[in-house]
Amino acid sequence: MNVLLLILYAAALVAYVWHFARREPAVGRAATTLLVAAALAHTFIIGMQTMEVSHVPVTNATTAISSFVWLLALSYLYTEMTTDERAMGVFILPLLVALQTIPALRPMIEARAPLLQGPLFGIHVLSLLFAYASFALACVIGITYVLLFKEIKAKHLGFFYARLPSLQVLDRMNQRAIVIGWVFLTVGIVAGAIWARTYSGADPHVRAMSLQDPKIFVSVVCWIVYSFELFAARRIGWAGRRAAYLSAIGFAIVLLNFVPISYFIPQSHNF
Amino acid sequence: MHLLLVGISHRTAPVELRERIDFQTRGVDLALRALAERGAAREAVILSTCNRAEIYAACDDVHGARTELARFVADFHAVDQNSLTPHVYDAADLDAARHLFRVAAGLDSLVVGEPQILGQVKEAHAAASDAQMVGPVLNRLFHSSFGVGKRVRTETGVGAGAVSVSYAAVALARKIFGDLNGRSVVVIGAGEMGKLTALHMKSQGVPRITIVSRTMAHAARTAEAIGGASAAPWDDLDNAIGASDIVIAATGATAPILTKAHVEAVMRPRRSRPLFIIDIAMPRDVEPAAGEIEQVFLYNIDDLQAAVRENLARRSSEVARAETIVAEEVDRFGAWMKSRGAIPTVVALRQRFERIRRAELERLEFKLSALSPDARARVDEITHLIVEKLLLTPTEQLKSLGDAETAAAYTEALRRLFALAEEGSASSEVERDAANSKVEPFTRAKGRGSR
Repeated sequence: MNVLLLILYAAALVAYVWHFARREPAVGRAATTLLVAAALAHTFIIGMQTMEVSHVPVTNATTAISSFVWLLALSYLYTEMTTDERAMGVFILPLLVALQTIPALRPMIEARAPLLQGPLFGIHVLSLLFAYASFALACVIGITYVLLFKEIKAKHLGFFYARLPSLQVLDRMNQRAIVIGWVFLTVGIVAGAIWARTYSGADPHVRAMSLQDPKIFVSVVCWIVYSFELFAARRIGWAGRRAAYLSAIGFAIVLLNFVPISYFIPQSHNF
Repeated sequence: MHLLLVGISHRTAPVELRERIDFQTRGVDLALRALAERGAAREAVILSTCNRAEIYAACDDVHGARTELARFVADFHAVDQNSLTPHVYDAADLDAARHLFRVAAGLDSLVVGEPQILGQVKEAHAAASDAQMVGPVLNRLFHSSFGVGKRVRTETGVGAGAVSVSYAAVALARKIFGDLNGRSVVVIGAGEMGKLTALHMKSQGVPRITIVSRTMAHAARTAEAIGGASAAPWDDLDNAIGASDIVIAATGATAPILTKAHVEAVMRPRRSRPLFIIDIAMPRDVEPAAGEIEQVFLYNIDDLQAAVRENLARRSSEVARAETIVAEEVDRFGAWMKSRGAIPTVVALRQRFERIRRAELERLEFKLSALSPDARARVDEITHLIVEKLLLTPTEQLKSLGDAETAAAYTEALRRLFALAEEGSASSEVERDAANSKVEPFTRAKGRGSR
C-alpha cells in the first residue's frame, strides 16, 4: 500500500519537475492531478488504518511519518489551489517522496496501546504533525525566496525569475506558514505536557519523560527558534531573507527530530 | 483553388515606403471593396500594420492573381509599380500559410514574439469577413493562424520577458512587490526621462507618484504634466524616499546625489521593507555600492538594458520550438487543402450520374408517356434514389479517408474510371457550388484540424 503511494508521489514529482523546466500548462495540470490522486489514496489508507485501530495512526515513528507526508501533501495542495502557484511543488515533492520511502520500505503495524487513545494524545500528535507540515512549507517558500532574491540582487534575471511569484508574495506566504505552524506547535507541546502529567501515574514510561529526552528537548528548541523568528519579523524587521534563512534552519531541526532522533537515539518518548 | 500572399514588410521595405502602402490610412474596408470590384481574387484578407501590408487571397490562377494584386497595391496607393516591385514578396499555397502562421506567432515581427500582431491578424480577418471577402479557404486559414498564435504563446517562451527598458523596470518592480497597486514612486529630477518613466509606471497601476526636483517650480510643472502626481521640495527628498517603494533617479547631476550612507540612513526606519531604485541618469545618480544594502534593489540603465538583451536572446532560443509548432500546423492545413481538392471530383461524379439518369429518362420518354403523371413522378423519384444510394457509400468512404495522399489517389482513380476529366473543365464553377451546396463532404470531413 505504502509502495503504491510512493509510486504515485514519485510520478507527481516527475511531472512537477517537468512542468517547472518546460512550463507546459498541460503538464502542470497533470502534475496537480497526480498529486491529488496520491493524496486521496493516502487519505483512504490512513482512513482504513484509523478504522482498524480506532485512532489516527501516529503512535510510532514510521506511521507518524506517513501521516506527516499526508498532511504536508494536503497543505501544499491547499496552498497551490489558493495561490495558483505551482512553482513550489518542485521543492515540496522531493521531501514527500524522500519521507514516504520510509513507510514504504518499513511497513509497521500500528499499536493499539490503550494509553495512546485519549483525545489529548490525538491533539498532541496531530497538532505537531500539522505544525511540521506548515514549517516544511515555510522552509520551501523560504528557499525559493532566497533563490529569487539572489537572482534579482545579482541582476541576473534568469531561471527562477521566470518561474517564481514575487518576493513580496513569497515573504507573506512564509510568514503565514510560520504563524500557523507556531500556533499548532504550541498547542501540540502544551497538549503533550498535560497528557504526560495526566498519565504519569499510569505508566513508568511516561513518568520518565522529561526535558532531557532528546525528542522533547529538540521540540522545545524548535519552539524557541520559531518564536524568535516571529518576534524578529515583527519587532526588529527580520522579514525577507533573514526570515527565509530562519525558516530553513527551523525546519532542518524539525527534520532532525523527526527522522534520525526517532530511529537512532534511545529515548523515553518512543513506544 | 490556390492560396496566394502578396505583401511588403519591415524585412523588405524601408519605413518611407511602408508608410505610403499603409492600407489603414484610407481604410481597409475601402481597399477590400476596391479589390472586390477588380475581381482579382475570390477571397481576400488585407493585413495592414505599421510594419507590414499583406494581401492574402484565394484564387484559381496564381500567376494572374499575383500580377493583379501587385498592380492593385500600386494603383490603390498611387505608387509607381516599378519602384514597388523590388520590395514586394509573394508566396503561394502552403508557403503563404506558413508565412501567415509565422506572422500570427510573432516570429516575423520586428521584436520577436510581440503580442499585438495576433490581435491585428484577428482584426484583419474580421474586417474582411464583414466585407464578405472571406470564404471557406481563408476562413480556415485564419482560424488556424489564431490557433498557432495561441499555441506558440502558451507552449513556448517566444513571448516571454520584457523587451524594452521601461517594461523591464516594471516587470522587475512586479517581481519584487507583486501587485503595483498601493505602491508609491518617487521621481528625482523633473526632466523628460523621469517624466516618461513615471508615466509608464502610472499606466501600470502605480497610484502615488511624487516628483522631487532642486527647483520646486519644475517639479510642480512635471507633476501637473503627469496628472495625479504631487511635487515635493528638495529638502524633503529623504522623507519622500522613506515613504516610497520605488525610486526613479533621473537628474542631470554630475555627482551621485544618493550615496550608500544616505540610502542606509533612509533604509534604517524601513526595516525589511524593500526599496527598488532605478537609476536612469547618465552619469549615475546613485552610488553603485548602495545596491549592497539588504532589501535595496538597485538597477541602472545598463542593467536594465542587459536584462532586455537577455530576454531577447532567450526569446530567439525559443524560436526553434515555435517553428516546430508552425510546421505542424502547416501540415495540418495542407492536409485540409488537399482533401478539399477532392470536392470537385465528388461533385463531378454526382453530376455525371445525374446526367446519365436524365439521359435515360429522356430516352425512355416514349415508353413512359403512357404512364399517369403520378406514376411518372414515382419513376423519377425511384431513379433519383438509386443514384443517391449508389453514390452514398463511395462518398462516405472518401470522407473517412485519413491522409491526404490516399485521398488524392482515390480521386485520381475516380476521375479515370468515370472519365470525369472533361467535366472537370468546369471545376471552378463546381467548386463554387460546392462551397454552399450540400455536396460538400470535405469541409467537415477532415475534422483533425478543426478546434
